[in-house]
Amino acid sequence: MGYIGKIFMILLSSILINNFVMSRFLGICPFLGVSKRVETAVGMGAAVTFVMAMTSLITYIIQYGILEPLNIQYLQTIVFILVIACLVQFVEMVIQKSSPTLYKALGVYLPLITTNCAVLGVAIINIDEKYDLIQALFNGIGAALGFTLAIVLFAGIRERLELSDIPKPLKGFPIALITAGLMSVAFLGFQGLIK
Amino acid sequence: MSDSVKMSLKLFIITAVAALALGVTHAVTEEPIRQQNELAGIESRKAVLPDGEEFIEVDTARYQAEYPGIIEVFEGRKGSTEVGYVFKILSKGYGGNMELYIGINTSESKLDGVTIASHSETPGLGANAAEPGFLGQFYGKPVISPLTVVKGDSGNAEEVEAITGATISTKAVVEGVNEAILFYNQVLRDGGEAR
Amino acid sequence: MKLSKVFINGVLNENPTFRLVLGMCPTLALTTAAINGIGMGLATTFVLVGSNLAISLLKNFIPSKVRIPAYVVIIATFVTIVDMIMQAFVPALYESLGIYIPLIVVNCIILARAESFASKNSLLPSIIDGLGMGAGFTVALLLLGSIREILGSGSWFGIPVVSEGFSPAVIMILPPGGFITLGLVLGLLNKLTGKTEQP
Repeated sequence: MGYIGKIFMILLSSILINNFVMSRFLGICPFLGVSKRVETAVGMGAAVTFVMAMTSLITYIIQYGILEPLNIQYLQTIVFILVIACLVQFVEMVIQKSSPTLYKALGVYLPLITTNCAVLGVAIINIDEKYDLIQALFNGIGAALGFTLAIVLFAGIRERLELSDIPKPLKGFPIALITAGLMSVAFLGFQGLIK
Repeated sequence: MSDSVKMSLKLFIITAVAALALGVTHAVTEEPIRQQNELAGIESRKAVLPDGEEFIEVDTARYQAEYPGIIEVFEGRKGSTEVGYVFKILSKGYGGNMELYIGINTSESKLDGVTIASHSETPGLGANAAEPGFLGQFYGKPVISPLTVVKGDSGNAEEVEAITGATISTKAVVEGVNEAILFYNQVLRDGGEAR
Repeated sequence: MKLSKVFINGVLNENPTFRLVLGMCPTLALTTAAINGIGMGLATTFVLVGSNLAISLLKNFIPSKVRIPAYVVIIATFVTIVDMIMQAFVPALYESLGIYIPLIVVNCIILARAESFASKNSLLPSIIDGLGMGAGFTVALLLLGSIREILGSGSWFGIPVVSEGFSPAVIMILPPGGFITLGLVLGLLNKLTGKTEQP
């Protein structure tokens, strides 16, 4: 299979087949937290896509340019998370300047992108799967697009749930989780898409 | 000293102490980790080639292009006699990559064992490929030509019975075994390329 | 404050999984079997105690403006230590927890406790809070892991516990099972305690 074909597979895999939220359980906290309105979900998705793409590039360079040559791979966790924290800080400043409404809407969830396990997760997966720079970049983009797909779909469903009559014990997180579970069943259908 | 500089300095100190703590832990755990990995490797190889006592790696670098699934090959020896080979093969399963250990007994030209080191198959279905119930049927099979998969009972020694509802997982295992068989016949056996 | 109250708080009133709804990623991913739940719970407790301890000790040294990066560095250090120790001494558990060990660093429970407790309290209560939260987390993982393992694999801690006639519902140990089990348990707890968590 050609190189472009492999990139396409990586995208397909990270968006649908091994969707970060629905199959890998990465990025659940923001998934449950920022998915009450479709607009906010889209904004969050865009911010996360940028962070994950940049993270994939920078962590790749650091892993193969610094950590491995110096044989200090055990510093991977601490270095990667620092990179992510800085990137998120940067994105926060940019959004604050360019779109104060989005900044307000995302609220505390923007700095929380740092603790979004999907971001650190994709950086680690890129290294584990031994992707090259371009593959790592596309895996990062694909993972973020998959995350965005999941939260936007979920937000759409939750907007409607708000208007339904949910039994009191199930209100809030319980019904959200059950809904997510049903979405996850749907995503199971993508398994086995690539032979 | 300005506030910014003081802050950065403090952060730097914290990071430096952290790196130091990690360096120490790394030094302490490096040897146990290396031993664990080596022990695990020997155990996995013995599981598929019980007669082997020592295992010596075979250089397969130049065959990498022709045999992409081969991760590593070890020659198994008892004393100074060669008893067989152990292959670690990467195969594409239903849910993701599969790593297989395959042991070929040289003197009897048969398979001494197949184990699955890692897989992402569906629990209850494809994951049963890792069970002795399925893998046991590989024991004693001839390695003259590739094996084939059949549904229902296998008629002759070169047929492998598929797991009900998990044909793709079964095929993935058999394809991995066949790659080992092919490499053995083409390269390692008396009369092969390496001899 | 009474230390025992601090501990009980972490297990019951402010149980990180069921009340604070934090640390969802490992909760959903690692409750496919009871043993994984315990392993992750213990590893996380180690990091929680370590980071609460360190942050409480350093609370006057860490400048407020850069406290989040500072906390993250400290937490990441403990996570890496736990990672190396597990790899060296309990390789089987290390293999089954996989990528979730480094991901302890982004387990929101730890950062949340650092920010809301350890940075404002003295050493001993902070350690006890870490133990309590860790215990609460472990209990939650154990509960969810047991439910999913029994219904999904027919076993508990690897020991078969169901009769021949019961066909395990594989979906319980697949992702949907995780979401739905947690949702139903949360709903049940809400009903039993008469409270509802608002996200």
